[in-house]
Amino acid sequence: MSHIRIEGLTKHFVGKPPTKAVDDLHIEIEEGEFLVLLGPSGCGKTTTLRCLAGLETPSGGRISFDDQVVFDAERRINRSPDKRKIGMVFQSYALWPHMTVRKNIAYPLRARRLKQGLRNGWVEETAKMVDCVALLDRYPAQLSGGQQQRVALARGLVARPDLLLFDEPLSNLDARLRDHVRAELHEVHGRLGFTAVFVIHDQSEALALGDRLAIMRHGRVEQYDTPQQVFEHPISEYVAAFIGMDNRVVCTYQDGRWAAAGRPIGGSELGIAGTAPVAMRLRADDLQVTPCDASVGANMSSLDAVVVDAEYGGRHLDVVLDANGTRLFARIPSGVSDSWARGLKQNDPVRASFRQSDAHFFDDETGSGASDIAEPVLNAVDS
Amino acid sequence: MTAVGVAEADAPSPVSRPLPLRALANWAGVLAFVAALCYLVILPLVRLQINAFSDGARGYRIGYTDPAFAKTLAYTAGLALGSLAIALVLGTLLAWAATRLPRSLRMLRVLPIFPIIVPAVASVVGWSFLFSPRPGYVNALLRNLPWWSDLKQGPVDIYTLPWIIIITGFGLTAFVYLFVSAGFQNISSEHVEAAQVAGSSQWGVFFRVTLPLLRPTLIYGGGVALLLGLGQFTGPLLLGRNSGIEVITTDIYRQMSASPIEYGAAAALGSPLLLFGMLIVLVQKVLLGDQRRFVTHGGKAFRSEARPSVIGAVSIIAYSFVATVLPVIGLVIVALSRFWSAKIDTDHFSLQSFRTIFAQSSVTQAIFNSVTISLLAVAICLPVGYVASSILLRGRRFGVLRTILDYVVSMPLGIPAVVFGAGFLLTYTKAPFVLYGTNWVIVLVYITLMLPFAVRMQTSAMLALGSNYTEAARVSGSGVSGTSLKIELPLMRSALGGAAALMFVLLTHEFAASLLVRASTTQVMGTILYDQYNNGTYPLVAAIALVMTAVTAIGVTAAMLVGGSDALGGL
Repeated sequence: MSHIRIEGLTKHFVGKPPTKAVDDLHIEIEEGEFLVLLGPSGCGKTTTLRCLAGLETPSGGRISFDDQVVFDAERRINRSPDKRKIGMVFQSYALWPHMTVRKNIAYPLRARRLKQGLRNGWVEETAKMVDCVALLDRYPAQLSGGQQQRVALARGLVARPDLLLFDEPLSNLDARLRDHVRAELHEVHGRLGFTAVFVIHDQSEALALGDRLAIMRHGRVEQYDTPQQVFEHPISEYVAAFIGMDNRVVCTYQDGRWAAAGRPIGGSELGIAGTAPVAMRLRADDLQVTPCDASVGANMSSLDAVVVDAEYGGRHLDVVLDANGTRLFARIPSGVSDSWARGLKQNDPVRASFRQSDAHFFDDETGSGASDIAEPVLNAVDS
Repeated sequence: MTAVGVAEADAPSPVSRPLPLRALANWAGVLAFVAALCYLVILPLVRLQINAFSDGARGYRIGYTDPAFAKTLAYTAGLALGSLAIALVLGTLLAWAATRLPRSLRMLRVLPIFPIIVPAVASVVGWSFLFSPRPGYVNALLRNLPWWSDLKQGPVDIYTLPWIIIITGFGLTAFVYLFVSAGFQNISSEHVEAAQVAGSSQWGVFFRVTLPLLRPTLIYGGGVALLLGLGQFTGPLLLGRNSGIEVITTDIYRQMSASPIEYGAAAALGSPLLLFGMLIVLVQKVLLGDQRRFVTHGGKAFRSEARPSVIGAVSIIAYSFVATVLPVIGLVIVALSRFWSAKIDTDHFSLQSFRTIFAQSSVTQAIFNSVTISLLAVAICLPVGYVASSILLRGRRFGVLRTILDYVVSMPLGIPAVVFGAGFLLTYTKAPFVLYGTNWVIVLVYITLMLPFAVRMQTSAMLALGSNYTEAARVSGSGVSGTSLKIELPLMRSALGGAAALMFVLLTHEFAASLLVRASTTQVMGTILYDQYNNGTYPLVAAIALVMTAVTAIGVTAAMLVGGSDALGGL
């Protein structure tokens, strides 16, 4: 376990056109921390991970594990992957098909000549931790996806590396298994406390797994914070959109008051400083849908809209609304079978309302979310 | 530093840095490797040209002022194009038929490859036993038919150009079949099924979807078959020379067997083939570009279990009977007989010919030579190919050296073995390495001829393996060599077995280059067979040909046991 420091990491790829996959990246990972790199494909998260592993040679910057510098462009230090104390879990798991599970897991111990590990049964111990002792004498081809995943994790962990790297290892599993494996992974990390960097593009998994998230964009870190902070206080519209604030409503200041999607807002005024146009971001499940004549609650604002479509989703309904040309997505409780919501039809006029504390405002043009835009609504009542 | 296994692509960094020591050592190693291969492959060709241009280009004058040269050129083109046409049509149809085999008959897929396994000298001799105008067995049979009953000879004359073309075409069909079968593997079944669902008939699907998708494969396979056709030697030499059919390769051989040897003329005659071969290799490199683009394909491999067809099985069996079994039958009959005559005398069948050849030390020595030289060449070629493939796939940073390497290892595919034979004879009868008269010159020429196969097959195996397994080993703490030995090589086992099998088979057959570089003391199976053929002791020729076939079959079986049943699939 160790403290990882990335300073000014840069990676160019020559090609047509040349790309900057990682651009002056600075990250510090505390000992035992589980850092999640989150972002859409092409944002440089996998390249960053491969630079940490030594599988990719960065074009510039510095990487150190504790006091040991493993890469420094200026001092021309570049330790090869086998000279870094790391473990890695690949997206395809990359379990060697010609070796049994036992040999796969033991491989890092042999390759790193950790004789005491082989003597003291680290292989069995690690296999036990990830619950695959019964699989030790099988071949990878005989395992299910979830089992392969666990073996790959055991292989990554067995040599007790300073740093464990995960390259989207959950993306090859089906949805239910993924939840299960994610929970296991979280539990194992809680127990062992290894330092880890995890690349992922699914925001809900990122929130569940990470001690901290680094949301990446164009090779840079857009926001670097705890999952709670990122979820509740996205620093920019890019982050807000990425962590599920799908509704975007442009708000403008007209005739002394705020309008959303070109129409006056009902209920409470929006707490926005200044008069420049802003983009409001809202999660689908923070939007309530009520009949037009229903009253708007305290600290709530509302928009008039018509129904475009309603999909039944079991416990919830996914309702698509149109507010003067702006699409809104609402996820509302489906309620009992004769509830009003279940009777929604196309073109029904409805009122979409939301708590002011749930709305996030960003500069309409730059997408930045400076604190001078939003006046924090304190003591948002939860009644 | 230098994490092998990484497609590194460093942009020029702002600070220019001197190369670290380790990188410098790597460079030196690669440089030495490429230089050694250049010496092996390029130098003999250069020496030939120097010889041809010396003395006021005397070689070119002799070679090209011969009045018969125009005819030779025409025969060469006719043979190449004619056999190419036959091979393309038959090879594609057979590959398609193979995809239509019912599940229970899947094994038939390997049958069309068999003409590669039967040595060319053996099958050509076998054909002549069947279709020689007077004593040919099939001709004799045909003369029993009422409308041919008045013939004294024929109706087929194997010693004429059309029949040489047909026989050559049968041999090339197997190569086209290999390429096109691989092409079929890359067509996802969904593409084909989509066309069927959209309302195309089976033939409509074949012509509108399958064939266009196969176009790159056909161009590539056709290019290779054309080069092989241009370099054909065995057929024209054994069947054509008596009736005055000369192609460029046999003309080269004639110049080389003149006394004194006309190196210059032989080199000059080889120049058109040399240039054309180099051109085709270059065009293919440019057209195909980075091979990595062709690796991944989504969807399932082509399979059409839904609509198996009996016609598929029937056509494959029919082709195999004609192209493989028939000539072997001819060989067996002659080998068991005391003389070769149109009348088969089953009463006096005996194994006397086999006893005779095994009693001759020259024959047993030739068999021993063939096997040991081939094994040695394969054993050297495999690691050389492995290193070359690694550099080609992961050695972006070696820049121009990598490009040169790529070209050098492809060249022997484009240039006829006869030309290499001439070059090696010229090079290794002189200082600094006088190897003529030893087995080493044969080993060297065999290594050269097999380079393209060793490299290509290992390259595609590495591509198919991807980089994940090796990267997983590197981050697990394994060094470069440990990763190669413990991870990559075991995973490539079946590909290596396949490559070894193919090379062993092709080498134990080798005839053209061997004929040029052999000495009376260093014979291989093909050359000893040719000597017996010239002596006219046909039962012995047939027996040697059958032994040659058997040796090859043993090699193939062994490779399949080592590399798994897929070993031949990699051919």
